[in-house]
Amino acid sequence: MEPPVIEMLDVTVVHPRSPRLPLITGVNWKVAEGECWVVTGLQGSGKTALLETAAGLHPYLGGEVRVFGVVVPGNEGGELEKIRRRIGMVFDGAGRLFSSRTVFENVALPLCYHGNHGLDEVADEVMEFLARFGLAAMADQPAGRLGRAWAHRAALARALILRPGLLLVDNPLTGLDASHSRWWRSFLLELLAGHPKFGGKPMTLILATDDPRALLGVGGRFAVTHGGRWRCVGGRSEFEGCEDPDLRDLLHDSD
Amino acid sequence: MRGFGGLGHRILGGVETSRRIGAFTLITLGTLATKFGTSSRVIRPLVQQEILRSGVKVLPIVCFLGMALGLVIVGQTVLLLVQVGQTQLMGPLLVTVVVRELGPLTVAMVVLARVGTAAVTELGTARAVGEVEALEAMGIDPIHYLVVPRLIGFTVSIVSLTVYMVMTALLAGYLVAFLQGFPMGLGEYFRVIADAVSWVDFPLLALKTLAFGMLTSLIICYHGLAEAMRLEDVGHATTKTVAHTMVACLFVDALFLPVYFLI
Repeated sequence: MEPPVIEMLDVTVVHPRSPRLPLITGVNWKVAEGECWVVTGLQGSGKTALLETAAGLHPYLGGEVRVFGVVVPGNEGGELEKIRRRIGMVFDGAGRLFSSRTVFENVALPLCYHGNHGLDEVADEVMEFLARFGLAAMADQPAGRLGRAWAHRAALARALILRPGLLLVDNPLTGLDASHSRWWRSFLLELLAGHPKFGGKPMTLILATDDPRALLGVGGRFAVTHGGRWRCVGGRSEFEGCEDPDLRDLLHDSD
Repeated sequence: MRGFGGLGHRILGGVETSRRIGAFTLITLGTLATKFGTSSRVIRPLVQQEILRSGVKVLPIVCFLGMALGLVIVGQTVLLLVQVGQTQLMGPLLVTVVVRELGPLTVAMVVLARVGTAAVTELGTARAVGEVEALEAMGIDPIHYLVVPRLIGFTVSIVSLTVYMVMTALLAGYLVAFLQGFPMGLGEYFRVIADAVSWVDFPLLALKTLAFGMLTSLIICYHGLAEAMRLEDVGHATTKTVAHTMVACLFVDALFLPVYFLI
């Protein structure tokens, strides 16, 4: 039997800059293959730290995190790097692209590094990929000159170029106009349905957001971080019907 | 008492920083050894870029400083020795001052000032805005991708630039002396200097410049990458890098003194 894609057992997620400062305690979470989770909570509630912990980028206090069945961190070196190649991570904002490098170079980097290719060898594949993301015309622009929405999309392209099994996206729709939001929602649904470019298998998605309303139609399962606590709520109907006042706060902006 | 306390605090801080830089050095050398040849199509262009940046582009300023050094120090020293009738000391003096000491040290300082400060700002900013984490997220080892090319590039550059610096200084020194009536041909001038050079000088000079190159690059990368940083900390990291690199290079320079005394 395949292990869960992510398994967290009584984990304490810590602040990224202060590894002794707990942000969320008692995280027990299992993400099965092909699931789409929306992790929501107020700003500063630790969603980003949780995502980065799940990607094996941060240490945590207590408990155990397993990604594709392997404990992270703790398997430093080759094993952890192999696991990371199976994870696509899209960071918040401009996606932490390398601002002085072009969009093409940013997206090509993981392919070149892991496959030991020159840029010219991967040019066709990367350009085809960029075209799929509507970025072909911007391929030669330095990433630092892209607008936030396009940079976020380029970061998505970079995260997917290695065809990962798990995609983590931090605030996918924050600050986007209606057109970009529509594109993201439809693309995420394509990934969930099994995009032919990515082996046709449904991709496991974890989306962190402070406004879950925009992702109600995408997420299959919902979880909330609030006041340093973690709670798996369930499917969309449970999430929308939940009477918890903290959750109501996230779903409704009127009193 | 407070003054002694402060001094003790600074010394302990220095020891702790040295320990951390030592650990960072071991990690980097370990990465260099274990990932040698890995992703060479990506790493090699980065190394070439670093050699271009810290070597080829710094060459004009190194030659200019070499000429200045030659005009100011070598030329005057040579003429002074002629005036006091001690030309037999010219070779040992120039070898000690220019080849063994000033050449390597000046090049290390020039590379630090011209490229090192920019490099630590670049790395510190990458760390502060999360680009380093983005590399890790893609399964790319930041030490391999960011530190190793700089280690190789800076080291190759400092070793090579030292040769240019020494040659330019000696040539410019001869030029000044010649214009003021120095009674020796260029061939004889270089023969006198060559006679004063011991065979041990070559490996020692290579070792010293290698050490300067490695120290400079590793301290730069350590301050740029090793600690969590916010954008406002980048300036402070740059200042610390300059101070620590200068102290480290002078310390290593001093370690070579007993060896030179034995020659």
